[in-house]
Amino acid sequence: MTKEILLRLESENQLALDDTQRDEIIAFMDAQGVEFAKLDAIDTENTERMVHVMPILTVVREDVMIKNFTRDELQAGAPETMDGYWQVPRLVE
Amino acid sequence: MKYETVIGLEVHVELATESKIFCSCSAKFGAEQNDHVCPACCGMPGMLPIVNKRVVDLGMTAGMMLNCDINRTTTFDKKSYYYPDLPGSYQTTQWFAPICVNGKVKINTSKGEKFVRIKQIHMEEDAGKLVHDDWTDTSLVDYNRTSVPLIEIVSQPDLSSAEEVLAYLERLRDLLRFAKVSDCRFEQGSMRCDVNLSIRPEGSDKLGVRTEMKNMNSLSAIERAIDYEVARHIDALENHTEELVQETRRWDDVKGKSYSMRTKETAGDYRYFPDPNVMPVVIDDEWFDSIRASLPEFPEVKKAKYTEELGLSEYDADQLTQSRAYCDCFEAALAESGMAKESANWIISDCAKALNRRQETADMLKINGKALGQLIKLVSEDKVGRANAKKILDAMFEEDIDPLAYAEKNGFIVSNDTGAIEAIVKAVVEADPKSVADFKGGKEKALMALFGKCMKELKGNCNPQVLREILIDQINKA
Ligand SMILES: [Zn+2]
Repeated sequence: MTKEILLRLESENQLALDDTQRDEIIAFMDAQGVEFAKLDAIDTENTERMVHVMPILTVVREDVMIKNFTRDELQAGAPETMDGYWQVPRLVE
Repeated sequence: MKYETVIGLEVHVELATESKIFCSCSAKFGAEQNDHVCPACCGMPGMLPIVNKRVVDLGMTAGMMLNCDINRTTTFDKKSYYYPDLPGSYQTTQWFAPICVNGKVKINTSKGEKFVRIKQIHMEEDAGKLVHDDWTDTSLVDYNRTSVPLIEIVSQPDLSSAEEVLAYLERLRDLLRFAKVSDCRFEQGSMRCDVNLSIRPEGSDKLGVRTEMKNMNSLSAIERAIDYEVARHIDALENHTEELVQETRRWDDVKGKSYSMRTKETAGDYRYFPDPNVMPVVIDDEWFDSIRASLPEFPEVKKAKYTEELGLSEYDADQLTQSRAYCDCFEAALAESGMAKESANWIISDCAKALNRRQETADMLKINGKALGQLIKLVSEDKVGRANAKKILDAMFEEDIDPLAYAEKNGFIVSNDTGAIEAIVKAVVEADPKSVADFKGGKEKALMALFGKCMKELKGNCNPQVLREILIDQINKA
């Protein structure tokens, strides 16, 4: 992790960090990097990819439409709504 | 210097399901804002997604129609990006084991036949919609479209002109509509396309700088955008008007120009990782075989059958095979009536007109093909007149009726009572001595006028040949 990468992630994820937080994160990620390097060193050439940590496969449902919630229920806890929309700060790409 | 264009497409197709990909909310287009939402699709914490089996069925179907290999173990992954149209701040998609890989699609252009390779098809959820409100300077979020199921069909960069791109998109649309994967309507956004384009000196094997135009939603816009981008790239290379950079561009179809949006994200920026909430889907032989068995014949296979085995004209076969609904209706009507040409005519002409009046497309034909076959038989056996048969067809568009019962109930059965017919014809002839005299004086048209009057009196329930004979007989007697 470099400061340059962190600054880019900050802007992508719209975070405002201060320098102390940045130093902490960089130190933490560097420590992770050491651990990942150990994993990377393991030969996994002939190891089958683990698709999931749980031994449960193919949880599917039939294509049936069910309406369980009203809009008002879902928006009851919303900080701001307008005409049935969630209202959020404007974002410009 | 001569250049060649290298184009790859990412085509998004909304799947024809009742419910969303990971929850049971309606996937239908056109509801009031946030009417089709639940805690799962609006990103509330703690909700578990459950995969809609139909989405996997349709993903597999699409792959088989496009000659892909199907990954029998297919998994879902999280793609992170932060925008209010994505309530969980990630899109659940497929990155490591997409449902289909390694396909190919044959296209025909003025340069001949060509295969376009498909890199992969993956299943994913759509994002919501944002409306920007200038009055309050805020964004308004509608999650109805969030989690509506999509497949993304990713081609290899095998296309080299706008003509090829259009041929490829039309071929995808025909095949996916035929297999009932999607209605593929650009104008409603159920088919959308990202165009990746670069140019290079002819014969070079090194790819040039690539630009991407996102969310193109009409064939004509795609064609214009490609022509514009090719010219822009060549101008940049030859005249150094600008430096080409890898980026996403927005196409403004009104101005006929593309604009830079932002630099292109790389896969790493999305931080793909396996979604622990969605269990891997394993497609066993039984499931795989049931989808394989449900595939339709390709349109061109049907067309060949219709012309070679059933004796239909090229034109008729083309008309029928433009729509799977037409083909299904035709085959059911033919099975019932045994009359290929008649069945084709009723669909291409009368059904098409009825659909047109209802502002519906060929894919929306829903009448019962077996009942249409029964109606054709009633007409060919002289039990129902042609004009009345059209009224029965109109009724068939409204509800699933038995044509014979409907004809009986509404007085549409042709009369074989020649005595009664003679009496009506005699009355018409006696009431119009001028037309009789005109006909006898050599005016053929006068006979048609009398014929029309008689048919009207008989409410269409008479064999035209029988009526003609009785009419001439009565005129001679007059
Ligand atoms: Zn939902």
